[in-house]
Amino acid sequence: MNILQQLINGLVLGSGYALIAIGWTVLLGAARLVNFAHGQLYMLGAFVAWAVMTKLGVNYFLAVPIAVVALGLLGVVLQGLMLRPVMQQNLTSLMIVTLGFGYIFQGGASRLFGGDPERFVSPLQSAEIRIGEIWFTWQDVLTLVGTLVLFGVLWLVLNRTRVGAIVRSVAEDPKLAQLFGINAALVYIGVFVFECAAVALGAGLVAPRSPILTSMGFDEVILTFVVVVLGGIGSVTGSLIAGFGLGLFTALFGALVSSAYTTAAAFFVLLAFLVLRPRGLAAR
Amino acid sequence: MTVELEATGLSVRYGGNVAVDGVDLAVPTGKMVGMVGANGAGKSTLINALAGWSRGTPVVRGTVRLGSTSMDGLPPHRRAAQGLVLVPEGKGIFAELTVMENLALVRPPADPTGRHLFSMEEIHELFPRLAERRHHKGRMLSGGERQMVAVSRALRAAPRVLLLDEPSAGLAPRLVYELLETMRKLVDRGLSLLLVEQNVRATLELVDELYLLERGKVVARGPAQTMRNDPRILEAYLGSLTG
Repeated sequence: MNILQQLINGLVLGSGYALIAIGWTVLLGAARLVNFAHGQLYMLGAFVAWAVMTKLGVNYFLAVPIAVVALGLLGVVLQGLMLRPVMQQNLTSLMIVTLGFGYIFQGGASRLFGGDPERFVSPLQSAEIRIGEIWFTWQDVLTLVGTLVLFGVLWLVLNRTRVGAIVRSVAEDPKLAQLFGINAALVYIGVFVFECAAVALGAGLVAPRSPILTSMGFDEVILTFVVVVLGGIGSVTGSLIAGFGLGLFTALFGALVSSAYTTAAAFFVLLAFLVLRPRGLAAR
Repeated sequence: MTVELEATGLSVRYGGNVAVDGVDLAVPTGKMVGMVGANGAGKSTLINALAGWSRGTPVVRGTVRLGSTSMDGLPPHRRAAQGLVLVPEGKGIFAELTVMENLALVRPPADPTGRHLFSMEEIHELFPRLAERRHHKGRMLSGGERQMVAVSRALRAAPRVLLLDEPSAGLAPRLVYELLETMRKLVDRGLSLLLVEQNVRATLELVDELYLLERGKVVARGPAQTMRNDPRILEAYLGSLTG
């Protein structure tokens, strides 16, 4: 067993976890909102990209941006429907409503795309790089670099721009933000659109690793949950570190102990973490 | 005398409780109007209703006009953009944003006709401490400094009418006078201001007109000179002057 190879696998896995989780992190941190349809949005992102590739003959590098835009538009519609509980910060209603959306997406997707596993192929998936004993694909490189760039840009926008300050102000106190002339409802829509678009990008980069199914999404939402909580709810830097940490843990645990128990072990770590450091990595 | 802000028949209910009951109120252009009353008289509820704002879910009736524009049905961020700017009681700035970020959240109005745009230089002239503190986060500021940021933020919005809810709460008496004197200076330069205060003595010294609110109703109103000798004010708030 090659430890270096496992470390690379871990980083690749971890960048995927972080990428899929980033939308939720921002949603929770910036808007104090939840979206339990996150996993199904991931599924939709992958299937939209797959559909425009297979049905319309669009190439992968255009199909992913199309999926990102499509899911962003879906985000506008969803947020429009949920605006009332969102403005009242009614988390219980939102939990149920978004769970419902998830089921609708799953049912709708299986009607639309069928129930069979499909191959969502990126041309970079088969472009391998070998250096001595270790190997990875250009898709892995793209995912890693894409994740780091997205996190970097997001951090800059949130912390160094007026738009970021507006998002942070709404996160802290949406009512007070209104007195500053800020339309909090619009900010919520923006954040929600970002979440949907980011998860579509995550799907576009990560989903080609294995066959896609309209029933997928649950595993993704569970791991997203682990990353978001470990990172310290709402912390961009924390969730990046948590994503990589979870990826490395999964790769090493799978290689050294047992791949069948990695999810269970990840939750064990989460449990231990929550006892020792209840506010996550980013806690001051 | 032109009226900058006018409310007619303003009532606010929370569930079955009537907090403000049929209030008529006017803030003349370039004047400072004070609103005093005991705790629970409905002062904050009233000033929040003018801004269309609340942390609860009240039912508001009546009309509010800013100049010739009706504010009825406008959400608070739209009223703020029109120049009806509220500094609420208590938390008035963002704790996790720096002083600069707090001030930069506010956009100057699209149509600044007839409104004074306060430059950062003017703000720093009014509140020199804020220049030193500009990179400090809201939570690192003292109560007085927070109030200065809250007022500055409102000024950056180029208010046609500034609504100020108990700026003195939690401040040392010297700071209260400093802040209120600064507000008076701004009114003398043309700002229209409605001030809700518990500190009746300080308010009477500075305002042009005074309203007395009791159980959600205006029970007395008039020029500050007259109100100073109003038996209800003397009895309830300035007892030590006569006694």
